[in-house]
Amino acid sequence: MGAILSQPAAEAKAAVNINEDYCSRCSICASLCPYDAITQDHDNNIMILDIEKCQVCGICYSACPAKAIDTIYYSCGSVLSYLEKIRPQYKSDTLVIMCKGSAPDFSEVGRLFGVKKFIPLAVPCVGRISEEVLLGVTAAGVKKINILACDEDYCRFHRGSPLTGRRVIALNRMLEQLGYGPEAITLKRNSLKVTVDKDLCIACGTCVAYCPYDAPKLESVGGISFDLDACRGCGLCVALCPAFALDLENWERARISDLIPKLLAEMKPPKILVFRCQWADYPPLNGDMSPNIGTIELPCAGRVEAIHVLEALQNGADGVMVVACSEDDCKQEGVSAKSEKVVARIKEKLAQIGLGDKLGFSAVSPRYPGQVEAAVRQFCQSLEGAKKGAAE
Amino acid sequence: MIVTTLKPLDEILESISPYRRILIAGCDGCTQPPRGIREAKTLKQLLELAGQLKGQEFEFKVTSVVKQCDSVLTTSAIKPYVADVEAVLSLACGAGPQTVAEFFPDLPVIPAQNSHFIGIDNRQEDQMFDGCSACGDCILALTGGICPVTRCSKGLLNGACGGASNGKCELDPERDCGWELIYERLKRLGRLDLIKKFTPAKDYSAKGWRVTP
Repeated sequence: MGAILSQPAAEAKAAVNINEDYCSRCSICASLCPYDAITQDHDNNIMILDIEKCQVCGICYSACPAKAIDTIYYSCGSVLSYLEKIRPQYKSDTLVIMCKGSAPDFSEVGRLFGVKKFIPLAVPCVGRISEEVLLGVTAAGVKKINILACDEDYCRFHRGSPLTGRRVIALNRMLEQLGYGPEAITLKRNSLKVTVDKDLCIACGTCVAYCPYDAPKLESVGGISFDLDACRGCGLCVALCPAFALDLENWERARISDLIPKLLAEMKPPKILVFRCQWADYPPLNGDMSPNIGTIELPCAGRVEAIHVLEALQNGADGVMVVACSEDDCKQEGVSAKSEKVVARIKEKLAQIGLGDKLGFSAVSPRYPGQVEAAVRQFCQSLEGAKKGAAE
Repeated sequence: MIVTTLKPLDEILESISPYRRILIAGCDGCTQPPRGIREAKTLKQLLELAGQLKGQEFEFKVTSVVKQCDSVLTTSAIKPYVADVEAVLSLACGAGPQTVAEFFPDLPVIPAQNSHFIGIDNRQEDQMFDGCSACGDCILALTGGICPVTRCSKGLLNGACGGASNGKCELDPERDCGWELIYERLKRLGRLDLIKKFTPAKDYSAKGWRVTP
């Protein structure tokens, strides 16, 4: 087993903390927190963080004027040193910062900004990227910063995209006064949504039944249509459409199918392929990946489809894990819970041919780092246990 | 809709074991979700994995028929594969495999589904219920739109029998008493007069075995 699997389980340490000694009680964090996780205790004159409500978006961290908030993920210092480290390999003065929710594919993002060579930085929500990072990379010689945020009403953390918009306007004014030109930072927004092939649609209404947003509409005359403003890109309908008539931008079925054998070919046995919701865990920027584990990030666990799980097993995976957000943390309307049912159905079928142990499901949160590693470790142990059981 | 469930994979494997080249034929028709091209492909993958474990090799082709109970649609969908396959594994309800058998007399056909009933799909509860017994002589107009032939465990045409307790059937405490449902519905509609109407024994020959539309 790789290093990641042999480490002891991490202590349940919260990913975000408020340092009382530095806090000036300005309560900007409380006013920006999309989840009301931070409140001001006037009696004791302190700010209180309810970590169970926190979704680890990092907006408070990025906005605290007193630097009183610590986060384990993508702190200013770690982002700057990471960028300095990777910059030479990209041989570019252009930095593209993108929200993972809008940008699974770097080349698509490059096309959006009209740049071929760039330094990519994908983070869960660009709202967590502070002025300090943007000015820091400019000072370090980056000539152009492009930021790709989600559409404002599509931001999974609600305030990350609007906050970034305000930040970019203010910074551009400042940078212009300093002689960096009128638009040192360019902000674009997009949202990735369902696509429909009407020729393949069999008008069964499965998407209508499962969509949590009432985006699809099926009529006797005219067939299927999607209200794309309502679609939140969870991919549940795509994963369940009986006719393969639906797909999800940038998370297309064929793209994931291509990725599966590629990842597995690079891995060492025992090979564990993880389909993970991109909001369930925030991997470190330059973390050493275990050679046993390959991860495919999805917009939501709802995008996991049976054919991909089976393709992984057919291509030599020793185990497949689906990692979702816990039900309460799901960034979509209850799709995490639905995905658990979908996975259970696949597992039930695999069990019939003696492969039920090879599929695992786990719901985690980035709130306590290390949960995914622990879940994968546990899954590996159960795989070994099953193997031993079969040998005896 | 017709409500079906996938047969145990062991049973399917046993049935297809004499053959190597097999067409898995989905059906886009009545079931929910339809056992269409996705189900066909998923079943192919599962059977390939199972075959690997048992040391049996299959060559599957997959297709889906708009309605496998329709002789014209099924004939045209299956015909292109006939020369290449030794058997058809059908994902349709019982009518699908029989359509294949009827129109391809030399091609073995194997059902992959068990057919249960003509059902009501309650998607909120993720459950499907028996809704219609296809008796050939519909009396829903008299029973508030709730079928006693199907929803009363005893199929009584004049109820209730008096055996229910707390609205549940005496034969199956999980199951609602069909006649209690009918009573409540007629009461709600202000049509309790209908419950007093006597329905004579059904003429089941009306069900028929052949219909000209």
